[in-house]
Amino acid sequence: MIVVCWMPPAPVLALLSTVPASNVQGCRNLTAFLDNSRSSVAVTLSVWNALFLREALSRISGGRAAWVWLFMAPVAHLAILMVMFSTIRTRFVPGVEIAMFLSVGILAYGLFRSSSTRSMAAISANRALFAYRQVKPVDVVLVRAFLEGVIQLFVALIVFAGMSLFGFDVLPSDPLMVMLIFVLLWIFGTGLGLLLSVGSTLVPEIGQVANLLFIPLYFLSGVLFSPSMLPPGLLEWLLLNPLMQGIELLRGAFMSGYQMVGGLDLFYLTAFAFVSLFLGLAVHVRFSSRLLMQ
Amino acid sequence: MILVEDVHKRYQTDHGPGKWVLQGVSLTIPPTVNVGLVGRNGAGKSTLLRLIGGVDTPTRGRIERRCRVSWPMGFGGGLQGSLSGRQNAKFVARVHGHEEDVDERLAYVEGFAELGAAFDEPVKTYSSGMKSRLQFGLSLAFDFDVYISDEVTAAGDAAFRAKAAAAFKDLAGRAGLIMVSHNDGTLKQFCSAGIWLHEGRAHWFDALDDALKAYKESSAP
Repeated sequence: MIVVCWMPPAPVLALLSTVPASNVQGCRNLTAFLDNSRSSVAVTLSVWNALFLREALSRISGGRAAWVWLFMAPVAHLAILMVMFSTIRTRFVPGVEIAMFLSVGILAYGLFRSSSTRSMAAISANRALFAYRQVKPVDVVLVRAFLEGVIQLFVALIVFAGMSLFGFDVLPSDPLMVMLIFVLLWIFGTGLGLLLSVGSTLVPEIGQVANLLFIPLYFLSGVLFSPSMLPPGLLEWLLLNPLMQGIELLRGAFMSGYQMVGGLDLFYLTAFAFVSLFLGLAVHVRFSSRLLMQ
Repeated sequence: MILVEDVHKRYQTDHGPGKWVLQGVSLTIPPTVNVGLVGRNGAGKSTLLRLIGGVDTPTRGRIERRCRVSWPMGFGGGLQGSLSGRQNAKFVARVHGHEEDVDERLAYVEGFAELGAAFDEPVKTYSSGMKSRLQFGLSLAFDFDVYISDEVTAAGDAAFRAKAAAAFKDLAGRAGLIMVSHNDGTLKQFCSAGIWLHEGRAHWFDALDDALKAYKESSAP
Protein backbone atom coordinates (compact mmCIF):
# COMPACT_ATOMS: atom_id res chain seq x y z
CA MET A 1 0.00 0.00 0.00
CA ILE A 2 2.72 2.39 0.96
CA VAL A 3 4.40 1.85 -2.34
CA VAL A 4 1.20 2.51 -4.25
CA CYS A 5 0.38 5.71 -2.38
CA TRP A 6 3.84 7.14 -2.47
CA MET A 7 4.23 10.19 -4.62
CA PRO A 8 7.67 11.65 -5.11
CA PRO A 9 8.06 15.10 -3.57
CA ALA A 10 7.96 18.02 -5.93
CA PRO A 11 11.74 18.50 -6.32
CA VAL A 12 12.10 14.84 -7.23
CA LEU A 13 9.36 15.13 -9.81
CA ALA A 14 11.02 18.19 -11.23
CA LEU A 15 14.29 16.31 -11.44
CA LEU A 16 12.72 13.28 -13.05
CA SER A 17 11.03 15.28 -15.72
CA THR A 18 13.10 17.43 -18.02
CA VAL A 19 10.22 19.88 -18.36
CA PRO A 20 10.01 22.63 -15.75
CA ALA A 21 6.48 22.91 -14.41
CA SER A 22 6.12 26.51 -15.58
CA ASN A 23 6.64 25.46 -19.19
CA VAL A 24 3.81 23.02 -19.19
CA GLN A 25 1.04 25.25 -20.49
CA GLY A 26 1.01 25.78 -24.17
CA CYS A 27 2.40 22.59 -25.51
CA ARG A 28 -0.01 21.09 -27.94
CA ASN A 29 0.56 17.44 -27.28
CA LEU A 30 1.06 18.07 -23.62
CA THR A 31 0.26 14.63 -22.32
CA ALA A 32 2.12 12.91 -25.11
CA PHE A 33 5.07 15.20 -24.53
CA LEU A 34 5.21 14.47 -20.81
CA ASP A 35 4.77 10.75 -21.35
CA ASN A 36 7.49 10.64 -23.92
CA SER A 37 9.95 13.07 -22.43
CA ARG A 38 12.74 11.23 -20.74
CA SER A 39 14.64 12.27 -17.66
CA SER A 40 18.12 13.69 -18.15
CA VAL A 41 19.63 10.58 -16.64
CA ALA A 42 17.72 8.32 -19.03
CA VAL A 43 18.83 10.43 -22.00
CA THR A 44 22.46 10.35 -20.91
CA LEU A 45 22.41 6.60 -20.31
CA SER A 46 20.93 5.87 -23.71
CA VAL A 47 23.49 8.20 -25.33
CA TRP A 48 26.33 6.40 -23.55
CA ASN A 49 24.95 3.06 -24.61
CA ALA A 50 24.65 4.15 -28.24
CA LEU A 51 28.07 5.81 -28.28
CA PHE A 52 29.77 2.87 -26.63
CA LEU A 53 28.44 0.39 -29.16
CA ARG A 54 29.29 2.74 -32.01
CA GLU A 55 32.83 3.41 -30.78
CA ALA A 56 33.48 -0.24 -30.02
CA LEU A 57 32.32 -1.21 -33.48
CA SER A 58 34.55 1.25 -35.28
CA ARG A 59 37.53 0.55 -33.00
CA ILE A 60 37.40 -3.22 -33.26
CA SER A 61 36.05 -3.78 -36.75
CA GLY A 62 37.09 -0.58 -38.51
CA GLY A 63 39.65 -1.41 -41.17
CA ARG A 64 41.20 -4.77 -41.90
CA ALA A 65 41.65 -6.88 -38.76
CA ALA A 66 41.76 -3.80 -36.58
CA TRP A 67 41.53 -5.91 -33.46
CA VAL A 68 44.76 -7.74 -34.34
CA TRP A 69 46.65 -4.47 -34.21
CA LEU A 70 45.37 -3.80 -30.72
CA PHE A 71 47.39 -6.80 -29.53
CA MET A 72 50.21 -6.44 -32.00
CA ALA A 73 51.20 -3.01 -30.69
CA PRO A 74 52.17 -4.07 -27.14
CA VAL A 75 53.45 -7.48 -28.25
CA ALA A 76 55.73 -6.00 -30.89
CA HIS A 77 56.85 -3.35 -28.43
CA LEU A 78 57.69 -6.04 -25.90
CA ALA A 79 59.47 -8.19 -28.48
CA ILE A 80 61.71 -5.32 -29.63
CA LEU A 81 62.64 -4.39 -26.09
CA MET A 82 63.29 -8.03 -25.21
CA VAL A 83 65.69 -8.41 -28.12
CA MET A 84 67.42 -5.17 -27.17
CA PHE A 85 67.84 -6.08 -23.54
CA SER A 86 68.79 -9.68 -24.05
CA THR A 87 71.58 -8.70 -26.45
CA ILE A 88 72.85 -5.84 -24.29
CA ARG A 89 72.78 -7.62 -20.96
CA THR A 90 71.34 -10.77 -19.61
CA ARG A 91 70.40 -9.74 -16.12
CA PHE A 92 68.58 -6.48 -15.83
CA VAL A 93 66.89 -6.22 -12.46
CA PRO A 94 67.86 -8.72 -9.81
CA GLY A 95 65.22 -11.23 -8.75
CA VAL A 96 62.80 -10.48 -11.55
CA GLU A 97 61.97 -11.87 -14.98
CA ILE A 98 62.86 -9.17 -17.42
CA ALA A 99 59.91 -10.00 -19.69
CA MET A 100 57.47 -9.54 -16.82
CA PHE A 101 59.20 -6.37 -15.74
CA LEU A 102 58.89 -4.87 -19.21
CA SER A 103 55.40 -6.09 -20.05
CA VAL A 104 53.87 -4.67 -16.86
CA GLY A 105 55.41 -1.29 -17.65
CA ILE A 106 54.44 -1.36 -21.32
CA LEU A 107 50.82 -2.34 -20.63
CA ALA A 108 50.42 0.18 -17.81
CA TYR A 109 51.87 2.97 -19.89
CA GLY A 110 49.74 1.87 -22.85
CA LEU A 111 46.60 2.04 -20.73
CA PHE A 112 47.38 5.56 -19.60
CA ARG A 113 48.50 6.75 -22.98
CA SER A 114 45.67 5.35 -25.04
CA SER A 115 42.92 6.35 -22.65
CA SER A 116 44.19 9.92 -22.62
CA THR A 117 45.14 10.37 -26.28
CA ARG A 118 42.10 8.55 -27.69
CA SER A 119 39.72 10.55 -25.54
CA MET A 120 41.59 13.74 -26.37
CA ALA A 121 40.68 13.20 -30.02
CA ALA A 122 37.10 12.18 -29.26
CA ILE A 123 35.47 15.57 -29.80
CA SER A 124 36.89 16.25 -33.25
CA ALA A 125 36.25 12.66 -34.35
CA ASN A 126 32.60 12.78 -33.34
CA ARG A 127 31.65 16.25 -34.51
CA ALA A 128 28.97 14.91 -36.82
CA LEU A 129 27.14 13.42 -33.85
CA PHE A 130 26.62 16.74 -32.11
CA ALA A 131 23.81 17.28 -34.61
CA TYR A 132 21.77 15.38 -32.05
CA ARG A 133 21.40 17.70 -29.09
CA GLN A 134 21.28 14.72 -26.74
CA VAL A 135 24.97 14.06 -27.45
CA LYS A 136 27.29 16.33 -25.47
CA PRO A 137 31.06 16.61 -25.91
CA VAL A 138 31.69 15.19 -22.45
CA ASP A 139 29.73 12.06 -23.41
CA VAL A 140 31.96 11.15 -26.33
CA VAL A 141 35.12 11.74 -24.27
CA LEU A 142 33.97 9.66 -21.31
CA VAL A 143 32.69 6.84 -23.48
CA ARG A 144 35.95 6.67 -25.41
CA ALA A 145 38.02 6.63 -22.24
CA PHE A 146 35.82 3.87 -20.84
CA LEU A 147 36.04 1.82 -24.01
CA GLU A 148 39.81 2.26 -24.11
CA GLY A 149 40.08 0.97 -20.55
CA VAL A 150 38.03 -2.11 -21.41
CA ILE A 151 40.12 -2.75 -24.51
CA GLN A 152 43.43 -2.36 -22.67
CA LEU A 153 42.16 -4.67 -19.94
CA PHE A 154 41.48 -7.37 -22.52
CA VAL A 155 44.81 -6.71 -24.24
CA ALA A 156 46.61 -7.13 -20.92
CA LEU A 157 44.71 -10.32 -20.07
CA ILE A 158 45.51 -11.85 -23.44
CA VAL A 159 49.17 -10.82 -23.38
CA PHE A 160 49.60 -12.31 -19.90
CA ALA A 161 47.70 -15.46 -20.90
CA GLY A 162 50.04 -15.82 -23.86
CA MET A 163 53.08 -15.28 -21.65
CA SER A 164 51.89 -17.93 -19.21
CA LEU A 165 51.92 -20.40 -22.09
CA PHE A 166 55.63 -19.64 -22.42
CA GLY A 167 56.11 -20.52 -18.80
CA PHE A 168 56.23 -17.09 -17.21
CA ASP A 169 54.75 -16.66 -13.78
CA VAL A 170 52.12 -14.08 -14.66
CA LEU A 171 49.82 -14.30 -11.66
CA PRO A 172 50.07 -11.12 -9.59
CA SER A 173 51.10 -11.58 -5.99
CA ASP A 174 48.75 -8.81 -4.84
CA PRO A 175 45.76 -8.86 -7.22
CA LEU A 176 43.71 -6.24 -5.35
CA MET A 177 46.55 -3.75 -5.52
CA VAL A 178 47.01 -4.48 -9.24
CA MET A 179 43.31 -3.78 -9.86
CA LEU A 180 43.43 -0.60 -7.80
CA ILE A 181 46.41 0.77 -9.69
CA PHE A 182 44.89 -0.23 -13.01
CA VAL A 183 41.74 1.74 -12.15
CA LEU A 184 43.76 4.70 -10.91
CA LEU A 185 45.85 4.85 -14.10
CA TRP A 186 42.62 4.59 -16.08
CA ILE A 187 40.99 7.45 -14.15
CA PHE A 188 44.14 9.52 -14.49
CA GLY A 189 44.15 8.91 -18.24
CA THR A 190 40.47 9.82 -18.42
CA GLY A 191 41.00 13.01 -16.45
CA LEU A 192 43.91 14.06 -18.62
CA GLY A 193 41.86 13.14 -21.69
CA LEU A 194 38.99 15.33 -20.51
CA LEU A 195 41.35 18.26 -19.95
CA LEU A 196 43.19 17.78 -23.23
CA SER A 197 39.99 17.28 -25.22
CA VAL A 198 38.81 20.73 -24.17
CA GLY A 199 42.28 22.21 -24.60
CA SER A 200 42.89 20.77 -28.04
CA THR A 201 39.43 21.74 -29.27
CA LEU A 202 39.75 25.35 -28.18
CA VAL A 203 43.48 25.68 -29.00
CA PRO A 204 44.55 23.02 -31.55
CA GLU A 205 48.24 23.57 -30.72
CA ILE A 206 47.66 22.11 -27.26
CA GLY A 207 46.81 18.78 -28.84
CA GLN A 208 49.97 18.76 -30.94
CA VAL A 209 52.19 19.68 -28.02
CA ALA A 210 50.50 17.03 -25.85
CA ASN A 211 51.17 14.37 -28.48
CA LEU A 212 54.84 15.41 -28.58
CA LEU A 213 55.12 15.30 -24.80
CA PHE A 214 54.03 11.67 -24.65
CA ILE A 215 57.42 10.65 -26.09
CA PRO A 216 59.57 12.07 -23.25
CA LEU A 217 56.91 10.94 -20.79
CA TYR A 218 57.51 7.38 -21.96
CA PHE A 219 61.17 7.60 -21.04
CA LEU A 220 60.50 9.43 -17.79
CA SER A 221 57.93 6.90 -16.60
CA GLY A 222 60.36 4.08 -16.03
CA VAL A 223 58.98 1.69 -18.62
CA LEU A 224 62.51 0.80 -19.71
CA PHE A 225 64.35 0.94 -16.42
CA SER A 226 63.87 0.41 -12.75
CA PRO A 227 63.95 3.62 -10.69
CA SER A 228 66.21 1.83 -8.20
CA MET A 229 68.98 2.04 -10.81
CA LEU A 230 68.90 5.82 -10.77
CA PRO A 231 71.18 8.07 -8.72
CA PRO A 232 69.29 9.46 -5.70
CA GLY A 233 69.47 13.08 -6.84
CA LEU A 234 67.75 12.30 -10.13
CA LEU A 235 65.33 9.84 -8.57
CA GLU A 236 63.94 12.52 -6.31
CA TRP A 237 62.85 14.51 -9.34
CA LEU A 238 61.59 11.63 -11.43
CA LEU A 239 59.40 10.43 -8.59
CA LEU A 240 57.37 13.61 -9.02
CA ASN A 241 55.95 11.87 -12.08
CA PRO A 242 52.78 10.11 -10.86
CA LEU A 243 52.97 7.73 -13.78
CA MET A 244 56.39 6.46 -12.70
CA GLN A 245 55.06 5.94 -9.21
CA GLY A 246 52.07 4.04 -10.55
CA ILE A 247 54.14 1.77 -12.77
CA GLU A 248 56.62 1.06 -9.99
CA LEU A 249 53.82 0.28 -7.52
CA LEU A 250 52.21 -1.96 -10.11
CA ARG A 251 55.45 -3.93 -10.53
CA GLY A 252 55.71 -4.35 -6.79
CA ALA A 253 52.15 -5.63 -6.64
CA PHE A 254 52.72 -7.98 -9.55
CA MET A 255 56.04 -9.56 -8.62
CA SER A 256 56.66 -10.52 -5.02
CA GLY A 257 60.43 -10.59 -5.50
CA TYR A 258 60.62 -7.10 -6.91
CA GLN A 259 62.41 -4.51 -4.81
CA MET A 260 60.47 -1.26 -5.10
CA VAL A 261 62.33 1.97 -4.75
CA GLY A 262 61.65 3.98 -1.57
CA GLY A 263 59.51 7.10 -1.52
CA LEU A 264 56.49 5.71 -3.36
CA ASP A 265 53.08 6.94 -2.30
CA LEU A 266 49.82 5.49 -3.56
CA PHE A 267 48.00 8.59 -2.43
CA TYR A 268 50.08 10.72 -4.81
CA LEU A 269 48.77 8.84 -7.86
CA THR A 270 45.24 8.78 -6.41
CA ALA A 271 45.30 12.54 -5.95
CA PHE A 272 46.48 13.09 -9.51
CA ALA A 273 43.80 10.77 -10.84
CA PHE A 274 40.87 12.36 -9.05
CA VAL A 275 42.03 15.96 -9.27
CA SER A 276 42.51 15.61 -13.03
CA LEU A 277 39.15 13.86 -13.39
CA PHE A 278 37.20 16.54 -11.55
CA LEU A 279 39.17 19.36 -13.12
CA GLY A 280 38.46 17.82 -16.53
CA LEU A 281 34.75 17.56 -15.81
CA ALA A 282 34.70 21.13 -14.53
CA VAL A 283 36.42 22.39 -17.68
CA HIS A 284 33.83 20.56 -19.77
CA VAL A 285 31.03 22.26 -17.85
CA ARG A 286 32.70 25.64 -18.17
CA PHE A 287 33.25 25.41 -21.93
CA SER A 288 30.27 23.25 -22.85
CA SER A 289 28.82 25.73 -25.32
CA ARG A 290 32.19 26.78 -26.78
CA LEU A 291 32.95 23.14 -27.59
CA LEU A 292 29.82 22.85 -29.72
CA MET A 293 30.63 25.87 -31.86
CA GLN A 294 31.80 25.17 -35.35
CA MET B 1 5.43 25.77 -29.42
CA ILE B 2 8.91 27.17 -29.66
CA LEU B 3 9.84 30.42 -27.96
CA VAL B 4 12.80 32.41 -29.20
CA GLU B 5 13.52 35.36 -26.94
CA ASP B 6 15.90 38.13 -27.90
CA VAL B 7 18.45 35.73 -29.32
CA HIS B 8 21.84 37.11 -30.31
CA LYS B 9 24.44 34.94 -31.93
CA ARG B 10 27.95 35.45 -33.12
CA TYR B 11 30.65 32.94 -33.79
CA GLN B 12 34.18 32.91 -32.49
CA THR B 13 36.63 33.34 -35.34
CA ASP B 14 40.39 33.11 -35.47
CA HIS B 15 40.53 36.86 -35.07
CA GLY B 16 38.33 37.12 -32.01
CA PRO B 17 34.56 37.42 -31.92
CA GLY B 18 32.97 37.61 -35.37
CA LYS B 19 30.19 39.89 -36.47
CA TRP B 20 26.70 39.38 -35.13
CA VAL B 21 24.76 36.89 -37.21
CA LEU B 22 21.55 37.25 -35.26
CA GLN B 23 20.75 40.43 -33.37
CA GLY B 24 17.71 40.29 -31.18
CA VAL B 25 15.58 37.65 -32.81
CA SER B 26 12.28 37.14 -30.97
CA LEU B 27 9.74 34.69 -32.29
CA THR B 28 6.97 32.46 -31.12
CA ILE B 29 6.57 29.59 -33.50
CA PRO B 30 3.16 28.04 -32.94
CA PRO B 31 2.74 24.28 -33.14
CA THR B 32 1.51 22.58 -36.33
CA VAL B 33 2.40 25.55 -38.48
CA ASN B 34 4.74 24.90 -41.36
CA VAL B 35 7.21 27.75 -41.58
CA GLY B 36 9.60 28.59 -44.36
CA LEU B 37 12.75 30.49 -43.49
CA VAL B 38 13.97 32.88 -46.16
CA GLY B 39 16.86 35.30 -46.42
CA ARG B 40 19.99 35.74 -48.46
CA ASN B 41 23.11 33.60 -48.01
CA GLY B 42 24.72 34.28 -44.67
CA ALA B 43 21.60 35.86 -43.20
CA GLY B 44 21.67 33.30 -40.39
CA LYS B 45 19.03 30.83 -41.54
CA SER B 46 21.04 27.73 -40.73
CA THR B 47 22.31 29.34 -37.54
CA LEU B 48 18.76 29.93 -36.38
CA LEU B 49 17.83 26.35 -37.24
CA ARG B 50 20.79 25.03 -35.28
CA LEU B 51 19.82 27.16 -32.31
CA ILE B 52 16.21 25.99 -32.46
CA GLY B 53 17.39 22.42 -32.78
CA GLY B 54 19.51 22.83 -29.65
CA VAL B 55 22.74 21.96 -31.41
CA ASP B 56 24.29 25.31 -30.59
CA THR B 57 23.64 27.80 -27.82
CA PRO B 58 22.81 31.47 -28.35
CA THR B 59 25.40 34.05 -27.30
CA ARG B 60 22.62 36.00 -25.59
CA GLY B 61 18.93 35.40 -25.14
CA ARG B 62 17.19 32.09 -24.77
CA ILE B 63 15.25 29.45 -26.65
CA GLU B 64 12.59 27.30 -25.12
CA ARG B 65 11.31 24.14 -26.74
CA ARG B 66 7.93 23.23 -25.34
CA CYS B 67 7.59 20.19 -27.52
CA ARG B 68 9.74 17.55 -29.11
CA VAL B 69 11.91 19.09 -31.78
CA SER B 70 13.88 17.04 -34.28
CA TRP B 71 17.55 17.57 -34.96
CA PRO B 72 18.30 19.81 -37.94
CA MET B 73 18.43 17.54 -40.96
CA GLY B 74 20.64 18.52 -43.80
CA PHE B 75 24.07 18.36 -45.44
CA GLY B 76 25.25 15.07 -44.05
CA GLY B 77 25.20 16.26 -40.46
CA GLY B 78 24.60 13.52 -37.96
CA LEU B 79 25.91 10.73 -40.13
CA GLN B 80 29.21 8.98 -39.47
CA GLY B 81 30.96 8.28 -42.76
CA SER B 82 32.76 5.11 -41.74
CA LEU B 83 29.61 3.38 -40.50
CA SER B 84 26.86 1.94 -42.67
CA GLY B 85 23.43 3.45 -43.02
CA ARG B 86 22.02 0.73 -40.81
CA GLN B 87 24.58 1.34 -38.08
CA ASN B 88 23.93 5.07 -38.20
CA ALA B 89 20.21 4.45 -37.95
CA LYS B 90 20.73 2.16 -34.97
CA PHE B 91 22.78 4.83 -33.26
CA VAL B 92 20.10 7.46 -33.77
CA ALA B 93 17.39 5.12 -32.53
CA ARG B 94 19.37 4.38 -29.39
CA VAL B 95 20.14 8.03 -28.71
CA HIS B 96 16.44 8.77 -28.90
CA GLY B 97 15.67 6.06 -26.39
CA HIS B 98 14.32 3.41 -28.72
CA GLU B 99 16.54 0.59 -27.56
CA GLU B 100 13.58 -1.83 -27.39
CA ASP B 101 12.05 -1.19 -30.79
CA VAL B 102 15.25 -0.63 -32.74
CA ASP B 103 14.23 -3.23 -35.30
CA GLU B 104 10.90 -1.56 -36.09
CA ARG B 105 12.57 1.82 -36.56
CA LEU B 106 15.26 0.30 -38.72
CA ALA B 107 12.65 -1.39 -40.88
CA TYR B 108 10.88 1.92 -41.33
CA VAL B 109 14.06 3.77 -42.27
CA GLU B 110 15.11 1.03 -44.64
CA GLY B 111 11.70 1.02 -46.29
CA PHE B 112 11.47 4.75 -46.59
CA ALA B 113 14.99 5.46 -47.81
CA GLU B 114 14.87 2.68 -50.44
CA LEU B 115 18.62 2.41 -50.49
CA GLY B 116 18.62 -1.31 -51.18
CA ALA B 117 21.95 -3.01 -50.56
CA ALA B 118 23.62 0.36 -50.00
CA PHE B 119 21.92 0.51 -46.60
CA ASP B 120 24.69 -1.79 -45.35
CA GLU B 121 27.51 0.11 -47.05
CA PRO B 122 29.47 2.91 -45.34
CA VAL B 123 27.75 6.27 -45.55
CA LYS B 124 30.89 7.84 -47.06
CA THR B 125 30.18 5.92 -50.26
CA TYR B 126 26.72 7.51 -50.57
CA SER B 127 25.82 10.22 -53.02
CA SER B 128 24.27 13.37 -51.62
CA GLY B 129 20.85 12.22 -52.77
CA MET B 130 21.25 8.91 -50.97
CA LYS B 131 22.40 10.70 -47.84
CA SER B 132 19.36 12.93 -47.81
CA ARG B 133 17.12 9.91 -48.34
CA LEU B 134 18.66 8.31 -45.29
CA GLN B 135 18.42 11.47 -43.20
CA PHE B 136 14.86 12.00 -44.23
CA GLY B 137 13.86 8.46 -43.40
CA LEU B 138 15.69 8.72 -40.10
CA SER B 139 13.91 11.82 -38.95
CA LEU B 140 10.50 10.50 -39.99
CA ALA B 141 11.10 7.30 -38.06
CA PHE B 142 10.70 9.18 -34.79
CA ASP B 143 7.70 11.11 -33.58
CA PHE B 144 8.55 14.76 -33.25
CA ASP B 145 6.19 17.69 -32.83
CA VAL B 146 8.36 19.92 -34.99
CA TYR B 147 10.70 18.82 -37.75
CA ILE B 148 13.62 21.00 -38.77
CA SER B 149 14.89 20.71 -42.30
CA ASP B 150 17.85 22.53 -43.82
CA GLU B 151 17.54 22.10 -47.58
CA VAL B 152 17.21 18.38 -47.13
CA THR B 153 14.31 17.95 -49.53
CA ALA B 154 16.21 19.72 -52.27
CA ALA B 155 18.39 16.68 -52.87
CA GLY B 156 17.09 13.42 -54.22
CA ASP B 157 15.45 12.52 -57.49
CA ALA B 158 11.92 13.36 -58.59
CA ALA B 159 10.38 10.15 -57.25
CA PHE B 160 11.93 10.64 -53.85
CA ARG B 161 10.90 14.27 -53.69
CA ALA B 162 7.34 13.27 -54.41
CA LYS B 163 7.53 10.69 -51.65
CA ALA B 164 9.04 13.19 -49.22
CA ALA B 165 6.35 15.68 -50.08
CA ALA B 166 3.66 13.11 -49.44
CA ALA B 167 5.26 12.21 -46.11
CA PHE B 168 5.39 15.85 -45.07
CA LYS B 169 1.79 16.43 -46.12
CA ASP B 170 0.94 13.42 -43.99
CA LEU B 171 2.55 15.08 -41.01
CA ALA B 172 0.62 18.30 -41.46
CA GLY B 173 -1.90 18.64 -38.69
CA ARG B 174 0.08 16.26 -36.49
CA ALA B 175 3.41 18.05 -36.50
CA GLY B 176 5.00 21.29 -37.56
CA LEU B 177 7.86 21.93 -39.91
CA ILE B 178 10.52 24.62 -40.01
CA MET B 179 12.42 24.58 -43.24
CA VAL B 180 15.11 26.45 -45.10
CA SER B 181 15.15 26.35 -48.85
CA HIS B 182 16.24 28.60 -51.68
CA ASN B 183 13.64 27.02 -53.88
CA ASP B 184 10.35 28.95 -53.86
CA GLY B 185 8.49 25.94 -55.20
CA THR B 186 9.63 23.71 -52.35
CA LEU B 187 8.71 26.33 -49.78
CA LYS B 188 5.29 26.94 -51.30
CA GLN B 189 4.65 23.24 -51.46
CA PHE B 190 5.26 22.67 -47.77
CA CYS B 191 4.89 25.91 -45.86
CA SER B 192 2.08 28.30 -45.08
CA ALA B 193 3.87 30.89 -42.92
CA GLY B 194 7.22 32.51 -43.44
CA ILE B 195 10.09 34.05 -41.51
CA TRP B 196 12.31 36.53 -43.29
CA LEU B 197 15.76 36.96 -41.80
CA HIS B 198 17.28 40.31 -42.63
CA GLU B 199 20.22 42.12 -41.05
CA GLY B 200 20.20 39.97 -37.96
CA ARG B 201 16.51 40.32 -37.29
CA ALA B 202 13.58 38.05 -37.98
CA HIS B 203 10.27 39.17 -39.44
CA TRP B 204 7.27 36.90 -39.13
CA PHE B 205 4.70 36.67 -41.92
CA ASP B 206 1.49 34.72 -41.56
CA ALA B 207 1.55 34.08 -45.29
CA LEU B 208 4.64 32.68 -46.95
CA ASP B 209 4.04 34.75 -50.06
CA ASP B 210 4.45 37.97 -48.08
CA ALA B 211 7.74 36.75 -46.68
CA LEU B 212 9.00 35.85 -50.13
CA LYS B 213 7.86 39.22 -51.42
CA ALA B 214 9.65 41.13 -48.67
CA TYR B 215 12.78 39.07 -49.25
CA LYS B 216 12.72 39.67 -52.99
CA GLU B 217 12.10 43.38 -52.66
CA SER B 218 15.04 43.74 -50.31
CA SER B 219 17.40 41.81 -52.56
CA ALA B 220 16.30 43.50 -55.78
CA PRO B 221 18.87 46.01 -57.00
